[in-house]
Amino acid sequence: MQLIKINIAQEIISQGLQNGADFVEVFVERTQTEGVVFKNSRPEDTQSGTIFGIGIRLIHGEQALYGYTNSTEREELLRITKLLGARIGKPGKETSLNFETLKYPKIPIIKDLEVDVKHKLAHLKKIDDVLRSDARTAQVILNFSKKKQIIEIYNSEGLFATEERPYIRLFHHLVMKDGQLQSEASHGPGAIGGWDYIEKQPFEEVCQTLLKQASTTLYAAPCPPGKMPVIIDNGFGGVIFHEACGHLLETTAVEKKASAFWDKMGEQIAHSALTALDDGTVPGAWGSLSIDDEGMPTQKTTLIENGVLKRFICDRMGEIKTGHKRTGSGRRQSYRFAPASRMRNTYIDKGNYELDDLIASVPDGLYAKKMGGGSVDPSTGQFNFAVQEAYLIKDGKISTPVRGATLIGSGPEVMAKISMVGKNLLMMAGMCGSVSGSIPTTVGQPPIKVDEILVGGQV
Amino acid sequence: MKNIMEKVINQVTDQKAQSDLLLCKSKSLKMSSQNGDISEYKVASTQILGIRVIKDDKIGLSYTETFDEESLKFMVKQALQNAEMSSPNPNEKLMDLKGCLSDRLSIPEEEIDIKLKTDRTIELESRVKQGDQRVVAVPYNGYSENEYESIYLSSKGREANYFDKSYNIATSALMDQNGKKSNFDDYSIAHTFLELEWDKVAETALFHARNILEEKPLPTAKYSVMFHHDCLKSLMSCFSHFYSAKSAIDKMNPWGTKVGQEVASRDLTIIDHPLFERSFRTSVFDSEGVERKSLTLIERGVLKSLYHNSVTARTLNTTTTGHAVQNPGGALGIGGTDLIITGQNVKPLPSKYLEVIQMDGLYSGANRVNGNFSVAVKGYVWDKGERSMTFGNITLSGNIMNMLKNVDVVGEILVASTDNSFFSVPLIFPELSIGGT
Repeated sequence: MQLIKINIAQEIISQGLQNGADFVEVFVERTQTEGVVFKNSRPEDTQSGTIFGIGIRLIHGEQALYGYTNSTEREELLRITKLLGARIGKPGKETSLNFETLKYPKIPIIKDLEVDVKHKLAHLKKIDDVLRSDARTAQVILNFSKKKQIIEIYNSEGLFATEERPYIRLFHHLVMKDGQLQSEASHGPGAIGGWDYIEKQPFEEVCQTLLKQASTTLYAAPCPPGKMPVIIDNGFGGVIFHEACGHLLETTAVEKKASAFWDKMGEQIAHSALTALDDGTVPGAWGSLSIDDEGMPTQKTTLIENGVLKRFICDRMGEIKTGHKRTGSGRRQSYRFAPASRMRNTYIDKGNYELDDLIASVPDGLYAKKMGGGSVDPSTGQFNFAVQEAYLIKDGKISTPVRGATLIGSGPEVMAKISMVGKNLLMMAGMCGSVSGSIPTTVGQPPIKVDEILVGGQV
Repeated sequence: MKNIMEKVINQVTDQKAQSDLLLCKSKSLKMSSQNGDISEYKVASTQILGIRVIKDDKIGLSYTETFDEESLKFMVKQALQNAEMSSPNPNEKLMDLKGCLSDRLSIPEEEIDIKLKTDRTIELESRVKQGDQRVVAVPYNGYSENEYESIYLSSKGREANYFDKSYNIATSALMDQNGKKSNFDDYSIAHTFLELEWDKVAETALFHARNILEEKPLPTAKYSVMFHHDCLKSLMSCFSHFYSAKSAIDKMNPWGTKVGQEVASRDLTIIDHPLFERSFRTSVFDSEGVERKSLTLIERGVLKSLYHNSVTARTLNTTTTGHAVQNPGGALGIGGTDLIITGQNVKPLPSKYLEVIQMDGLYSGANRVNGNFSVAVKGYVWDKGERSMTFGNITLSGNIMNMLKNVDVVGEILVASTDNSFFSVPLIFPELSIGGT
């Protein structure tokens, strides 16, 4: 069943074109959400809901006009379209439009097992039990969330595209306490797919890793500050590329010249050891999409090859404003946002080294085993990241654990200092916030060596 | 809309359950300019209805953005199903409150022509661009206006209505000097269009961007630090759960068991004030329809109270402080209103200190359970009353609990954050770790 009547979509688009728009798009979304917060060893908050809305975009030259509403009423939708169209201020054309349904290859998704809520709660209880097997565990919060997003896109090029996107995620948060000392550890695997993904997670191994991380940081000494070489391990370590470079390659920043890389296409912007990709087609991955939110099939995009800038991450407006080709990267949190160029599954490609080789190459530095979140100002390239689990490196060997480390620097500078790339690529799910809202993205990398970066810590 | 809400409540009551509903509606207009023209223009009208049902001491939550009969019935059904799956919590009950409360902030003003709004937005960008020849771009320059309305209704008979309208502008100045870049943004928020501070926003963005071009790192050491009022607000907000009884019950709050104990300097008093006359928004009632009043959190260094909603209050055998917060369909939580930090025993400013004007990475760099944080900072070195240099590319690390114990009050006048939601006397935090050269 379609989410709005086709004739209403046709009328909206015709109205937009009559008002002088070059391009009109209707984005319709219906999303069912469900979630359980399992806390204090029991399900505390169980919730579900329905998100529904329609976004209307008119493009005129380099101007984007956007409106949204929860209403499916023809009059309200045409009122919004006319309100937007009035900004253009020139007569358009009468158009008769027929839609052709887009056919595209579908990304394989992980199946949704037919299990009832009691089964899911029993699984969460098992995880809770393992995490509470350590007497120092003060709290365990398991946040299970699932949503099914159905989108429909109609545009003035005659496109009709639809996709059903099931998302599933289980966020683990562990708090450990010993006397006055407190620490925390977290892990949030997620995928495009269903419950099968959760069942297949090696939960005992995950719990032991979290317990070790919390226990290690509980007694760790404060990290000493200063510039030093840093080995960043695989998986969520990829957040460094995401923040320090990925956001600077989105045309949302490039089109405003608010990116340090806006005029560097074809130039060496990173160490020759580094090749990086943004791939929307990884089966089951949290950041994968069969089509983007503009109705374009996603693709595997090589951003940087051996240090040379090859492509930007580009949406329709980015193509209009910069001339670079779209990459199937127009994304948005919901109908409340106009699409923007955004990352999908972004990672540094495999290199040739073992983690031990990287560690051995550092006489005095930091091993960032587990990264936390971070942020960047794309216009200056300056970034910051938290490190959740870190160790000092002394004479090429992992030494004592330290806590409270942060990494700060400039994307363009750090990209030139990634001198060694390991073999063992690992991807991790995360949420990325930017101009078009908070969206699922995957970060990933093998272990990497950054020759020098400023580490924040306690004097 | 109230009719629809009453109908939903009746559906739940028919199922022998209690419920409360929260309806939120908003209308907004946003625009941004780029290269002297409006590049983005956004209009929106949205609504969302959330429900909390309580049946056999179990809670179920649901929400919907479509209000047709079928969707509303589905929402009720889901909420009741969710309640079945929850663990019983006899402490979560509806407040036994009746009657109607209203908090409507609407300042009459003449209709402003859309052309004036677009012209002023474009002028703001132009002013930043022309303000310094080193400005290479204005990454964001925009205007927005928002109308927000909510109705709370409970099956016990409580109704609470809220309405607010606000106007915002923001701009940023990206400068480049021989390849070195700086960017600073500023904003203004007001209840009427005419109160927006266009000049101040442009001047502030230019002033700090200009200075940051000259930034240099500082040597790694310990320094005395004053936070710009917006930075201090962010820092205090990041650890605001230290006042939350819910966090205390969840064992996530290091001050959870410290009511009555000294947790801060004896020179410091911190008050949560929902009705402060200088606040941008006052708040007459909380998300359970409880009337709010001011609450002393810390008095001369002693933790006097935590924030409570009715659930935490019943759990800890006390009374609610009117700090329930809830989004439609979300769990009942706890949150503060506007903080006021006052001080005694005023000391002179140290001859040399750092003023932090920009902090990045606070939320990712903070450990919520032990109060440690580490952030990238920029700002000014003050030496003998003069701004002697701009610093940047450094990190600042500290622990909020230690900082509040070792703080010096260096002034008596309350300074407001840019959005007039946080007020503090000037404070100096001695001996904070800076990581730099």
